[in-house]
Amino acid sequence: MQILIQLFHILVFPGLLFDVAMGVLLMGLNNKLVARMQNRVGPPILQPWYDFLKCCGKETIIPARAKRAVFLGSPYLGFVLLISVSMFIPFAGFIPVTMGSDLVVILYLLTFVSVCEILGAASSGSPFAGVGLSREMVAMISYELPFVLVILTVARAVGADQPSGAVFSLEGILAYQEMNGPLLFSPAAIPAAIAMLFVIPCETGMHPFDIAEAETEICEGMLAEYSGTPLAMYRLTHMVKVYTMSSLFVAMFLGNRFTGIVPVDILIGILLCIAVMFISAALPHAVCARLKVEQVFHFYWTVVTGFALAGLLLVWAGV
Amino acid sequence: MNMEHYPILAIISLFLGAFLVALFGRLNKVLRNLIVAAAVTIPLCLMIALIAPVMIGGQVIGYWMGNWAPVGPWAIGIGLEVDALSLFFGLVVTIAVFVSGLYSFTYMNRDDSLENYYTLFLMLSGSLLGLVLTGDLFNIFVMIEIMTMTAVALTAFRVDYEGALEGALKYMVVGSIGSTSVLVGIAMLYSQLHTLNMAQIAAALPDHQNLVTVGAFAFLFLGFSTKAFLFPFHPLAADAHAVAPASISLMISGVITKCGVYGIIRLAYILYQNINEPAVSILITGFGAVSCFICVTMAFNQHDFKRLLAFHSISQVGYVITAVGLGTALGLSAGLYHAMNHTLFKGLLFLCAGAVQYATGSLDLGRLGGLAKKMPKTCALFLIGAASISGLPPFNGFFSKWMIYQASFEKGLDTGNFFYIVVCVVCLLSSVLTLASFVKVAQSVFFGQLQPQFENTKEVPLTMRIPMWILAVLCILTGVLPWEVLQKLVGPAAAAALNAAGYIQGMLGSGAAAGAGAQAAFSMEIGFWGPVSWLCLLLIVSCAVCLVAVLGTAEQKSPEERHEMDRRAGRTAAFTRDGFADAGRILKPAEKEGHYRNPVLSGTTLTFTGEKDPKYENFFSGEESEYSQVGGGDLFWGFKTNWRHYFQGMRRWHSGVINDYTRYGIVALAFVLLYACLFL
Amino acid sequence: MFQKWIDKSMRKSPWIYHINAGSCNGCDIELVSVLTPRYDAERFGFHLTGTPRQADIVVVSGPITMQSVDRLIRTLAQVPEPKCVVSLGSCPRSGNVFKGSFAIAGPLEKYTHVDVSVGGCTPKPEAIVAGLAKAAEILEEKRREMRKHGGMAPSPAVAAAVEHEERAEFGTGDATAVRQGAEQEADA
Repeated sequence: MQILIQLFHILVFPGLLFDVAMGVLLMGLNNKLVARMQNRVGPPILQPWYDFLKCCGKETIIPARAKRAVFLGSPYLGFVLLISVSMFIPFAGFIPVTMGSDLVVILYLLTFVSVCEILGAASSGSPFAGVGLSREMVAMISYELPFVLVILTVARAVGADQPSGAVFSLEGILAYQEMNGPLLFSPAAIPAAIAMLFVIPCETGMHPFDIAEAETEICEGMLAEYSGTPLAMYRLTHMVKVYTMSSLFVAMFLGNRFTGIVPVDILIGILLCIAVMFISAALPHAVCARLKVEQVFHFYWTVVTGFALAGLLLVWAGV
Repeated sequence: MNMEHYPILAIISLFLGAFLVALFGRLNKVLRNLIVAAAVTIPLCLMIALIAPVMIGGQVIGYWMGNWAPVGPWAIGIGLEVDALSLFFGLVVTIAVFVSGLYSFTYMNRDDSLENYYTLFLMLSGSLLGLVLTGDLFNIFVMIEIMTMTAVALTAFRVDYEGALEGALKYMVVGSIGSTSVLVGIAMLYSQLHTLNMAQIAAALPDHQNLVTVGAFAFLFLGFSTKAFLFPFHPLAADAHAVAPASISLMISGVITKCGVYGIIRLAYILYQNINEPAVSILITGFGAVSCFICVTMAFNQHDFKRLLAFHSISQVGYVITAVGLGTALGLSAGLYHAMNHTLFKGLLFLCAGAVQYATGSLDLGRLGGLAKKMPKTCALFLIGAASISGLPPFNGFFSKWMIYQASFEKGLDTGNFFYIVVCVVCLLSSVLTLASFVKVAQSVFFGQLQPQFENTKEVPLTMRIPMWILAVLCILTGVLPWEVLQKLVGPAAAAALNAAGYIQGMLGSGAAAGAGAQAAFSMEIGFWGPVSWLCLLLIVSCAVCLVAVLGTAEQKSPEERHEMDRRAGRTAAFTRDGFADAGRILKPAEKEGHYRNPVLSGTTLTFTGEKDPKYENFFSGEESEYSQVGGGDLFWGFKTNWRHYFQGMRRWHSGVINDYTRYGIVALAFVLLYACLFL
Repeated sequence: MFQKWIDKSMRKSPWIYHINAGSCNGCDIELVSVLTPRYDAERFGFHLTGTPRQADIVVVSGPITMQSVDRLIRTLAQVPEPKCVVSLGSCPRSGNVFKGSFAIAGPLEKYTHVDVSVGGCTPKPEAIVAGLAKAAEILEEKRREMRKHGGMAPSPAVAAAVEHEERAEFGTGDATAVRQGAEQEADA
């Protein structure tokens, strides 16, 4: 029975199935919201799901130059890894696995997901993919610095009050917020939260920062040679990543248990994820044109890092 | 045989092997290889045999050469002292030596005068093992000298390589600054304490702190950091590694640097026991963090495979020194863990580089590419090594780096010093830059496109892959079972380093079981990371995904339908062979002869008669696909352009002139001396 | 299990890859305008993709110049099945005003099976949207057909039959030109 409940948590809620559903929902809403902001009707909310299914139904072409195993394996590995990341992030008080979660582990696993994508692209042998992976790596270097600073800020803010000995424990952060209210309400954490909101679109490769998949400049970049089911897996990974990152934001800055009533908590959690997605992904998407590579790097290492550093210093000073 | 003879036997077997090879190596190739194999295997077995008593039993093995036991409190003879720390490094050394020796048999078979190579190799190995096992300070200097000279000779072993002699000369000249300053430091200590035995020095030193001993600390620290190639001595490593044979690069980067680390640990934790002074801690950590960052950015711009790896090895040693400098139990264990991991994964990567060199004759990142299809097994091994060094879970690099972040951040929280937070950020940032440069290597060596001139590349022989697999398996094991490794190997070593009293007693006092006391107080409060359960989770999820995929695409078909399907497929296949699609299933790329299809134009579909099937070519905006590799130098443009001033400065600074490098060394020495006199 | 869903979503998410085979850019601009807020083809799931590997519908504009014919054929071959080819404007159908020039190698039918042909110089965006929607329907048909034939695309005979039944023409701008072009083809 225990095992069945565990399996339910891993595979259905808040694990695999829920992740995919939330990913589709967030991505669909994102498209819809952007369309509405641009005075368009926009695609149906389930559009990402149709895209996914359609890609599954297409032929998978493996270029003759591609390294077959890596080319086909990395999308699946990336997806599975991402699902395992999302299991470290508690949602509405639920956590699928009881081994505990650590922000640095999450950071590195998210990196691994991107690395899978990069490896797949590299193995396709396409020069467009080569340019794309180079850009993806630059984007990664760009957002990693503020992301790290945000993590340190949160860890420091919770700091000595951690019930467990571990400093980067996400559960400790949640427990702290349950006692002291959401971190977002303390003024010192606000710059860090702003920085984190900027990290989300770059980490998920959303529009103004999707330099790695610029379809007009470099023919979809990393995905230039992908078709069929592996492409579908990449699409799905992107969607789930949006959900993972927004739920990470919610867990880090807003807490997990809001009312104590489970269905209400779940609903609030979903709404908060949507709100985070709206602010961090949909708004910049609707407003900005795609940045250039060096602009992304410059922006993240000056403005966003500035916010994150300010947050860290404020928290360090004990404001 | 009594266990206390094991250490000396291990050292002797290597040195004896060197002499035997020098004597008989010329006569018979098989005999020579047998001697080498025996000489590298025996120490490994002896070290493994010592794990149980020393690591788990907490024993400290003292051995007086020629049975010159101490008289009263005065140590007269030369002693070997093996505590858990020494044994830990001894294990690292012997594993690396074993693997390197095994690899040399095939890798070096195209060179001549190999008896010289093996003699030098075994002497180098013996000196390294002697260095970590000895209990005598002057002995350490002797071993350092043997080590440096043999390493210099081995660096220049392939004299016909461009830059081999130059690299060796630089190594010798600038390395001698380190050796000299170790000698000066030892002399200064001897003048104050009148002994060379480390246990006795450790017992006397805390009460005899004066300006001379502080100066000796500065000299010894700088000497050992030269041997670890820390900043500002890192250009040496790059020049030496790039030209040495890969098996020797493994030794230089995997083991010689570790001897520097070992020296610094012994110095700060056992001899002076002053690691908890903030000034010492900041000095060591600062040196580590600076080397870590500068070398990783230097590695970014390299276009030689081994040179890139060389800079990375200093960067990783920078991590180790950073962690060691923290002075906490967690920090020290993190440092030791990373030191071990670095030997494993960097050794693996150097051997991969050697394999690439062996197969293609080139190490130029701008020329290689697409080797994954020609050398799939080496590629897999490289990916394991690259994932380990970039710290991707569940490989070993992740765990130790994670511990380093925890340790530095906790130290920052405990002391309230923002310096440690900066160090933590620098470490995290260096990690992502490490990843970036290994993405660069992966793209420009193994993936991307194959240059036509490497069309006939063959996979390296199994005898070369076995040593690589040993290291790869160890990488995975230490990554997947980190808590066990921490408990069995790293923990005892860290406890021994923190237990100076145990070390002194082990040599001079009543002896055994002194280390056990400190071990109890040594608990690990780290975060949550269970690789095994995580892998199980991964397995469950992937099973579920596979299940959905299989169920989703499977269609219920009756045998008749299937038959019909085959019939149609057979008929249409005559038309297209592999042109038409098989939805939902994967089509094989057209292989060599199938690459050409020559059916005529039929119906409305035009086909290429006798030409390559364009369907499986890379998309090239409609052009015919041609050789177009995005080389290593072209990657990461947005990053490099923003950092161009920094990189320009670095280029000016790494002039490649011995005089400049010597000057940097002298400046560093002056700085450390000044710092020590002011703050210690 | 999901095959029915996949069939259905074929129609709902057709991704377009646009090949300019020597077009004067008139049709290209109109194709882009289809995606603007005014016509918003994205509400039907249309999406302009950057690589033929991800495309479902290939839109070809221009009279297929000698320079572009190689590239056209190569790119078309790189599109995974099932795929639809839509010819946009009069040029790929007949050569339009360029007909007879030494520099063009059209019409498009010589090189591939054209599923939908949208006429006009240039076609109105409404006509393009209608043509693309028709192509999306054909896409779903093709997918069903492929499944029926055990994962293989229909044989050329079947494809030709489908062509005559399902070729849809929108816009009447130069219907005569098409007919003339076809006649001349026949004469030749």
